[in-house]
Amino acid sequence: MSEFLAIYRLVITHQLTRGRVVLIAVAIGAFALLGATVLRGAVDPFEATIQFVSVVGLGLLLPVISLLLGSAAMGDWYTDETLVYVWLRPVRRTTVACAAIAAALTVTLPGNLLPMLAAVVASGQTGDGALIGTISATVMVTLAYTAVFVLLGITVKRPLAIGLIYIFIWEFFVSRGAAGAARLSINSYGSTMLARATDLDLTLADRARWATFVVPVGVAVVAALLASVRLQRMDVA
Amino acid sequence: MTGSPPTTPPVADVGQQGPPPPPPTQARVVAQGVSKAFGSLVAVSDVSFSIGPGITALLGPNGAGKSTLLRILCGLSAPTTGRVLVAGGDPRTSADARRQIGLVPQQDGIFERDSVRSFVRLGAVLSNVDDPTGATDAALTAVELDGPIDRPLGAFSKGMRQRAKIAAALVHNPGVLFLDEPLNGLDPKQRRSMIDLFHTLGERGKTVVVSSHVLDEVERFGSNVLVIARGRLAAQGDFRAIRALMNDQPLRFRVRCGHTRRVAAALIAGELASGVTVAEDVIELTTENAPALRARLAHVCQHYDARLHECTPLDEDLESVFRYLVA
Repeated sequence: MSEFLAIYRLVITHQLTRGRVVLIAVAIGAFALLGATVLRGAVDPFEATIQFVSVVGLGLLLPVISLLLGSAAMGDWYTDETLVYVWLRPVRRTTVACAAIAAALTVTLPGNLLPMLAAVVASGQTGDGALIGTISATVMVTLAYTAVFVLLGITVKRPLAIGLIYIFIWEFFVSRGAAGAARLSINSYGSTMLARATDLDLTLADRARWATFVVPVGVAVVAALLASVRLQRMDVA
Repeated sequence: MTGSPPTTPPVADVGQQGPPPPPPTQARVVAQGVSKAFGSLVAVSDVSFSIGPGITALLGPNGAGKSTLLRILCGLSAPTTGRVLVAGGDPRTSADARRQIGLVPQQDGIFERDSVRSFVRLGAVLSNVDDPTGATDAALTAVELDGPIDRPLGAFSKGMRQRAKIAAALVHNPGVLFLDEPLNGLDPKQRRSMIDLFHTLGERGKTVVVSSHVLDEVERFGSNVLVIARGRLAAQGDFRAIRALMNDQPLRFRVRCGHTRRVAAALIAGELASGVTVAEDVIELTTENAPALRARLAHVCQHYDARLHECTPLDEDLESVFRYLVA
């Protein structure tokens, strides 16, 4: 347990750079501003708010913040050649991967939730399942994205570029255009949760209820296992 | 956590209370037919050796493959073929083998936001040392790191950071130390102190493998070398013994004596020298039979009533041996 906590602390210490904190603060401010002006002033503020959370929040902001923070968890060590100080110690690879994912989640969850909640609260549309739908969708999708991007951070040399391509090409465009592809979109499970909570018809929101819980958790577990395998097999600089 | 906690005491005894030195023949690091290729480039080719307790210097010109080899020995990189054993286990798969390894990597990357103390302590905690705080203090003392050690590493000089890296490598009292350019950034006093520390560790039975391109420094680490040239093992052992075995490289000597011309002529006639350069009181000669020269030079001088002042080998130093091996 002490190894887990040591790695957890290390990841958080090095993940929260000033630039990343400023980015999250800007996102919170921008979402609050949009909620208070554009969403509050819409013809149907409730639907506008939920659509905004689904498309801009779950579809764009959440994966981008998860990418920035998740890929840095171990990716920064990989890039600046400090991974050796953890890798060479007699610690289980699963412990390293799980601690890194847990630490990344500790940062990405508030980093994703606060802007979403800021938009919902500022728009004044907190009832009819909006708040609970936003929170549950954000938590589940953040879990899956963060684990995937922690894995990406130690798998490719340019995780940010590859991650952004994945987010924009796959999650944002391809999955919205093809029904089969949508099943492989993490975002669709969040949209489904949000749609069920608010009883609105949202794009990609046609997953089974059980899948909205099982798939994001499953994705996170598989990503953690793959990260462990990657740590075991990788060459460390 | 894998495996059982280390049974050896924490680093308070770095180089002081360790187990008694094992027999010199006991190999702690073994490479068997190790090769490493990056695409079509073969960086290390079919290298086999074993290293026992004490200090061994890993030598080679830039690009010879010694950094790649060091990374393979630590388990950081998988060999394309062959295998490596450290303390009896494969460091890539065995946590017990990794527990026996302390590494000072060459790269500057370090957890800049960590303090010196927490960086060293991290190594103790991750190695499951019984008393991480005590082990950290002992490791910091061993490398003479004191002062503002609770400040972030990023605020320190390269020398301080280097000593923090050495402390982190020692903190779990490993049996095998891999040091890649360990004296980088240290001032002369710190260098001397670290060399003394490594000597102490070697004398206490630790296996210390030092990679360095500064031959003067390597010579101060000791005489046991492992020379890599063009990805292959060129030689291993005491460099003076290696030099003695180089029959194809005549030894050069400087002899200071009287009657230099007569003595030089006698050495040539007696086939004790194959070439000579004579000055007023100095002969510089090459010989292919150094033992005979050493045995008979005094007699030759006595025969010509020439006082012998000096007979010094000119190319038995590490630099000469290295030059011959990698040429």
